[in-house]
Parts: sequence; structure tokens; C-alpha cells
Amino acid sequence: MRLKRRMSATSDETGIDLAPMLDFVLNLLIFFIITAVFAKEVGLTVSRPNSSAATEKKEAGSIVIVIDAAGKILVDKKGVDVRAVRANIERLHAQRPDDSVVVVAEKGAQTGILVQVIDQVRQGGIQNVSIAASERG
Amino acid sequence: MILKRHTEESEETGIDLAPMLDFVLNLLIFFIITTSFVKESGMSVNKQLAMTGEAQESGNILIAIRPNGDIWMDKRRVDIREVRPLIEKMHVERVEDTVVIIADRESQTQVLTQVMDAVKAGGIAEVSIATLSGDEG
Repeated sequence: MRLKRRMSATSDETGIDLAPMLDFVLNLLIFFIITAVFAKEVGLTVSRPNSSAATEKKEAGSIVIVIDAAGKILVDKKGVDVRAVRANIERLHAQRPDDSVVVVAEKGAQTGILVQVIDQVRQGGIQNVSIAASERG
Repeated sequence: MILKRHTEESEETGIDLAPMLDFVLNLLIFFIITTSFVKESGMSVNKQLAMTGEAQESGNILIAIRPNGDIWMDKRRVDIREVRPLIEKMHVERVEDTVVIIADRESQTQVLTQVMDAVKAGGIAEVSIATLSGDEG
């Protein structure tokens, strides 16, 4: 008797009780805040011109950099040091400003050298870098 | 007179939760929309330092390549032939996702290009190679 009177009396006064819904929504909110992505990977975006086929033909109007299996770097068929790639690219970029860069890496070449070369090219002022596979190596 | 009635009412019902609830719901919707779950690779590798690395805002499918050529994706070791179907599945789930390949600096470029081809075949065109940023190294 007492219970019934109290319940009906309070619900008449306050309407629907929002507290459980609020608890639920707050829990959802906390879940999504926690799972939100804050850490981002840092990376170089590269393009891969021809899918599932090694590109042997060199496009006209592109600077070709070859990395062989031993880690030797050839810019325009001349062997250069990793640190000299930037200077070479700057020179070639000044001569032919519209050219893009294709890095031809042989199978056994290490990724670290590839990334260093791409980094040097980007420092040299060319952002459009693509990677081609080489049959050799 | 009206004011007095107002205070009487607030004494009865307590704090009005509606504006707070609106605010919290808006926050909730914001976090639901902006959340993108990172698909961790589950393996840490030594990345190559690069000065021109950029934070990859939407890059949240992470693929790790170890020095011995193992490919890690979705917290487990996968075969190169598994990469394409996995990428296809993830691409369907969330179209905006892009791929970051975390290749060890001692891994071979052959594996890297194979993975890039598989990702491209799986429908994601934008691929980047993770690097250490200048302030991390």
C-alpha cells in the first residue's frame, strides 16, 4: 500500500527518470573516448605505378634511381652515395622541373636504403615518388 | 509571482538534466563518427629515419614486415597470399582506411613491393611506408 502510493506519487511529479539512460550514455562516451585514435604513424606516401607487373620500361620524363641488391645507388646510371642523392636530385629537378622520380629497387635491396633514398628525393624537392620492382637481384 | 512558482518546481524535481544530456549525446555522436579503429600489426620493427615523413591521418591498417620477411597483420603472422583478402575485407568495412606498411630497415624490398601490390589489388590505392620522424630518432 505504502509502496504503491510513493511510486505513483513520485512518477507523477518528475516524469521519466533520466539517470539510468544518462549512466548508459556516459559509459558509451567514455568507451569511445578511450578507443579513439590519437597515435598516428609517420610515413612517406609512395605510389606503385603498375600493379602485379615489374616495370622494365622507363617512362619518358622521369628520373630513375636504381638501388641494387648490394645497396649501391645509381642516379642517372652514375653510382652515388646516399647523402649525395639529394644534391643530384636538386640539380636534375632544376634542369627538368616536370619530372617525377621512379625508384627501381632490386629484390634483395634493403628497405632502409629505399626509405633513405625516398627521403632524400623529397628533401630535394620532388614529392611524387614511385617504386618499381626490378627483375634482377 | 511566476518566479516564485519556478523555484518551487525546481525544489521538487532537482537539477534539470536535459541540457547536459543534449551535450553529452552530441559528444557521443562526435566520438562515434570520428572513431577509426587501428588494426594493429602486433609486431614492432626498426623503422628507418626520414626527415620528410608526414603523420598519416587516416592510415590505420598497419602491416609490419620483419627482417626475415615475415608479414604481420591483425596481430598475427600472415602469408603474402592472405594479405589481399584481408585488405578487401577491411576495405569493405571502412572505405576511408589507408594502409601504412611498417617495414624493417633490414627487410628486403621484394617483400615490400609484393605487399604493396597485394594492398593495391585489395582495393586500397594509398599506401605509405612508416618511418621514424626526426624528433623520435
